[in-house]
Amino acid sequence: MKRLPAASGLAATAFLLAAPLFLDRGTLNDLWSLSLGVILASAWNLLGGFAGQVSLGYSAFLGIGAYTTVLLSLRGVPPFLTLPLGALLAALFSVAIGLPAFRLRGPYFTIATIGVGEAVRVSAASVAFTGGSSGLRMPSGSFDFTANFYAMAALAIFSVVLAAAVRASAFGTALAAIRQDIDAAESLGVNATRYKLLAHALSAAVVALAGSLYAINFQYIAPGSVFDFRLSLSIVLMPVVGGVGTIAGPVLGALVFSTLQIKLLAIPALRDAYLLLYGGLLILVILYEPGGLVGLLRRLTTRRQATAPEQEVPDAG
Amino acid sequence: MPAEPLLSVRDLSMRFGGLLALDAVHFDVAPGEIYGVIGPNGAGKTTLFSCLVGALAPTRGEIRLRGGRIDGLPNHQVVARGLVRTHQIVRPFRDMSVRENVSVGAHFGSGRRRGADAARRVGGILERTGLSTRADAPASTLTIGELKRLEIARALAAEPQALCLDEVMGGLNPSEILEALSLIRSLRDSGLTILMIEHHVHAVVGVSDRILVLNFGQRIAEGPPADVVRDPEVVSAYLGGDDAVPLFPEA
Repeated sequence: MKRLPAASGLAATAFLLAAPLFLDRGTLNDLWSLSLGVILASAWNLLGGFAGQVSLGYSAFLGIGAYTTVLLSLRGVPPFLTLPLGALLAALFSVAIGLPAFRLRGPYFTIATIGVGEAVRVSAASVAFTGGSSGLRMPSGSFDFTANFYAMAALAIFSVVLAAAVRASAFGTALAAIRQDIDAAESLGVNATRYKLLAHALSAAVVALAGSLYAINFQYIAPGSVFDFRLSLSIVLMPVVGGVGTIAGPVLGALVFSTLQIKLLAIPALRDAYLLLYGGLLILVILYEPGGLVGLLRRLTTRRQATAPEQEVPDAG
Repeated sequence: MPAEPLLSVRDLSMRFGGLLALDAVHFDVAPGEIYGVIGPNGAGKTTLFSCLVGALAPTRGEIRLRGGRIDGLPNHQVVARGLVRTHQIVRPFRDMSVRENVSVGAHFGSGRRRGADAARRVGGILERTGLSTRADAPASTLTIGELKRLEIARALAAEPQALCLDEVMGGLNPSEILEALSLIRSLRDSGLTILMIEHHVHAVVGVSDRILVLNFGQRIAEGPPADVVRDPEVVSAYLGGDDAVPLFPEA
């Protein structure tokens, strides 16, 4: 049971490394989208899944990464060198909004994050240096699909490994305690605010890295694309449908989501129908299997699970 | 009273809107003492513990642990200084095993233990609280007696100098109460200072060195158990009358 994740991780790494050698550009694009989904879903899951703090404002971090990259590239900085700064800015921003927002609990926190996300989008559309609502274009000559593909694939693998490492650590234990009973966690010495801020910053940084790669690949960004509320919604839907708080769930959710989106995008009349479909899927998950696809799979293999429990004791750290 | 109390509380008040839940309460607890806190329902006992550990910020007053002020500190910082409480209504992490629950205390209490060191400590505490055989069971499958012991085990894993036990005998059967009492005595014998709220007055009278009696947020008596239970004010607080009948005739 323990070797399966490691083996599938190695297989995925080998496949992604070799993919550009034998796959056509269209399929590679789909794989690029899948990688993006895996990154966003796994990163969101650090705070939303492990710590139970459901944020609907994650497009802000993607946008901060994207805008940092385009604005610096336009001033002559090589695009890939802008990634760390975008991640740092997103992490700092996550702390700035986390300090007040984490004083709120449950749905109140979620509502506050919707407000933050919208405020960032409106701000980006209103000020001059971001190009306002018409957006910004990357400097010419900055496009390199193969490099971008490898970077996105590597980041996807990194974000899954990061999630597994966090969950197995004492930090992950603190997040689980916060999710299950924040007051009991505090009464045993857990500094809940600090660990929520840490999880928020870590996931914001990873999402910003993906945002930078997104900007470089599409060569054009606008508040309506990178700060879109529907994007924030998709970032939540993927891990929830896949299985919130698990390692495999966000990956499965991203796989379902990107497949649906790709199939539906091919039909012009249904361009936005993926959200409708996903909303329906979400209702089914909440009603019948709150554990998502991972929960469903677990239920189907209950007998095997009884002898070899999946949940390991996160002692080491 | 020794010169240097472990815990010292002065003029402690807690107001919730129009309700004065604690009204200028004061007391000292000596190192190694078992200090009982009793009083009728709504007397402010649990509020007192919440203020001591920083889960609530008191409206007024001073709390000192080994001479240092701890009032106004957040709960996790009070834990780091060595004062830990259990919860009257048990609050296990239900998705975790018993061992993982106790690990939270070992990782984030004053010991801040990690890895094998934490595992050793947790193993010892599970042994001591009689939870070893249930170590890998999900906390959601425990009986109420086991959940009460889990509360104590987690708090012990945080390595307190003083432990605040909030009705750890509530809902236990007579033999479980005897076990709990012997655990509390053995904890004190290993150097821990114990504060305990208890509804089982006979139990608390038997085990405590001194007892504090609260009624409507006020301290109405304090002293050795034998004196406190004969105090006319304590008797009337419990019975609601003025007749100075001994509440606990030579039990």
